[in-house]
Amino acid sequence: MSELNEYLNELKASARQVMDGEGTAAEEATLWPLTVELGWLLTAVPEELDGLGLGVHGVSMLHTELGRGLAQVPFLAATLAVDALVQSDIDTKAELISRFTTGDAVTAPLADVSTVTLTDTLNGKLSVVPSADTASDVLVCVDDCVVLVKLHQAGVELSARGTWDTTRRLFDVTFSNVVLANQVVLARGDAAVAMIARLQSLRDFALAADCVGAAAGLLDITIEHLNTREQFGRPLALFQALKHRCADMKTLIDAAEALLADSLSRITDEQLAEIDSQLLAKKAKLVACSMFADVSEEALQLHGGIGMASEHPCHLFLKRSMLNEHLGSGNGNYELDIADHFLAQLA
Amino acid sequence: MMSESDTQTLRQEVRTWLQDNVPSGWRDAMTGVDQESFVQLQREWFGKLSKAGYATPHWPEGWPGGGRSLAEQKVIYEEVARADAPRLIMYFVALYHAACTLMECGTEAQKEKYLPGILNGEIWCQGFSEPNAGSDLASLKTRAERRGDKYIINGQKTWSTMAQYADRCLLLARTDSSGPPQAGQTYLLLDMKSPGVTVVPINQITGDDEFAEIFFDNVEVPVEDLVGEEGQGWAVAQATLASERGLTLVELSQRMRYALPMLAETLKERGLLEDTALRRDLGKVIARVDACCALADQYLLKRISGEEKVGDASMVKLCYAQTLREYTKLGRRISGLQGQFDPDFMRGATQETGNWTLDFMNSYNWSIAGGSNEIQRNIISERVLGMPREPKTWKL
Ligand SMILES: Cc1cc2nc3c(=O)[nH]c(=O)nc-3n(C[C@H](O)[C@H](O)[C@H](O)COP(=O)(O)OP(=O)(O)OC[C@H]3O[C@@H](n4cnc5c(N)ncnc54)[C@H](O)[C@@H]3O)c2cc1C
Repeated sequence: MSELNEYLNELKASARQVMDGEGTAAEEATLWPLTVELGWLLTAVPEELDGLGLGVHGVSMLHTELGRGLAQVPFLAATLAVDALVQSDIDTKAELISRFTTGDAVTAPLADVSTVTLTDTLNGKLSVVPSADTASDVLVCVDDCVVLVKLHQAGVELSARGTWDTTRRLFDVTFSNVVLANQVVLARGDAAVAMIARLQSLRDFALAADCVGAAAGLLDITIEHLNTREQFGRPLALFQALKHRCADMKTLIDAAEALLADSLSRITDEQLAEIDSQLLAKKAKLVACSMFADVSEEALQLHGGIGMASEHPCHLFLKRSMLNEHLGSGNGNYELDIADHFLAQLA
Repeated sequence: MMSESDTQTLRQEVRTWLQDNVPSGWRDAMTGVDQESFVQLQREWFGKLSKAGYATPHWPEGWPGGGRSLAEQKVIYEEVARADAPRLIMYFVALYHAACTLMECGTEAQKEKYLPGILNGEIWCQGFSEPNAGSDLASLKTRAERRGDKYIINGQKTWSTMAQYADRCLLLARTDSSGPPQAGQTYLLLDMKSPGVTVVPINQITGDDEFAEIFFDNVEVPVEDLVGEEGQGWAVAQATLASERGLTLVELSQRMRYALPMLAETLKERGLLEDTALRRDLGKVIARVDACCALADQYLLKRISGEEKVGDASMVKLCYAQTLREYTKLGRRISGLQGQFDPDFMRGATQETGNWTLDFMNSYNWSIAGGSNEIQRNIISERVLGMPREPKTWKL
């Protein structure tokens, strides 16, 4: 375990270095090829499939670093789809994993707002799919079926959706009579249900990590601003009113980070589909995403006028935090799920 | 003081006029449009309002539309808010800051020269803030150097609202840097078409570009355009900075109240009318808006009766800024994921457009500009509560 930790720390340091080099909100066009080249997509892939075998811990660490830099890459979506492949029993699995971790991009929706229905054909709309135009395939979860669908084929239509958050390029993907037999079905029945549950946990942990990293990065930027900007002949950081708010932000961030780390330490990769793991993931997501929204709101205020100018990165954090709150099944639903689970246990 | 029936008559008169004249669908017409359409709407609306005498109720007797008591002005503002009429943001500095500065501190010649232009729709901007002089406005560095019968201006202003449309600028510049920061400042009226003035619009986080940087490179201002005395600029600026605050905040608070149905509309659209938690939060916001309106009203009554105290205005502004934040944040929550799509902005919008993500971001205009929330808190704690000031000297 400690050897693993050491390795994780090294990876973290090198990821930090890469991201610092690329700068805040680095463009997808340059960062994505780099992400692929560095083999980051292989982080959670087991060693027998030529991955690093670092599991959810390893990939979570990368999500944190990418979040910190507001990376404009569909890394989260791609890792979900690759994980689905890893869990599947299909013959072409090794080949597809290799393809999607080194060449073609695969994507997956980041929110539970799909209207897709499945019979012999797929119909309906999949929303909140990042970078669908540059990906070759998308992961679709419907009821008790998980399937990989080609994005560039008859019956599939992409439409770009403008979002306040400009660090993600989201698409609606509409299916009209896309024949299931021509797609790659990854799981069906109970296996699919378990796979979907697992993917939800992974997604929720990843969103939590994204928020933790981004909020920490934003707090650093804010403190740097307060330390250097002078008003009334002194650094703004000298005003206790502002220091205390930074202290509040730091405490919120560390609590969210601690919850994420604690949750991850309680489960193994194999348990991700279990109900307890799902609950841990939901709590981590809820706490981290509300925390990031709070931190972004404070940071904008503490920047003053410059924070209202689009040239300053402050707003990019705020906008990502606002979107993150609604990803997954949305913070409001997590609140309910957590309370309902608690109440059901008492009963 | 106006009698109840006078108020009612005026209210009815204004209400009827607004019903007939507020351009219908102006919000939709302002969404995602270019600057020209915005300027056009502002011009037309200003034309109508000023012709009817409702653009200048705060001007003294003798001016068109002028001579209204504060109580009457309040009625007009409340009705404007109720009718959801466009705000005259392009003319705001001209009608309030510029006009009030001229009325209070201008010479007869300056009044004659500039006030008619303002009535005719000249646009003014306020050039106070600088990159390094925001909350600490007194530390401003833009230089005004007297040479013969001219001042020569060099330096930079920033965040100047509507500067890109402005004909003239209220400029606060430094003529002397030997004394304390408030001393040595001089208040000038600057023609934005003068050689050496460069305006660079600032892109805002909402996509709009309502404010701009202004650069001055050896810009000449004739001494006739000095307001007050050289070196007395700080006092001139302070005298008029808050001239409109009470009324604007009454209007803005009322606008929040009248826009409450929009929150309900969003709840309905999203099928969330049965959501108890959100309905509770709506109840909380409604009550807070009422409190904000009440505080603004009370403040104006104090002004009318001459009982206003230092710091009263700060409490109204802080209360408004915070209520608006909670209000728009609830809208943002109700809008859900849907609210994160379609990033359109509305030019010249009030704070309640129904695009809650946009409105939420715009709520920062009120917590940052014109003395941030933190600065208001300093004023309230020090001036209202009598708590000690931050020490003037410090060391790390
Ligand atoms: C929408 C908008 C319109 C504007 N329009 C104009 C205009 O037309 N003309 C013009 O001249 N200016 C205009 N401004 C500028 C505005 O007045 C300044 O932004 C404001 O004074 C804050 O200054 P700053 O932006 O430099 O922030 P800073 O002063 O750098 O403040 C940064 C942070 O530090 C806090 N802070 C500063 N001092 C203290 C203190 N002593 N104690 C505790 N906290 C403190 C602030 O509250 C803020 O949170 C506009 C600004 C905005 C946002």
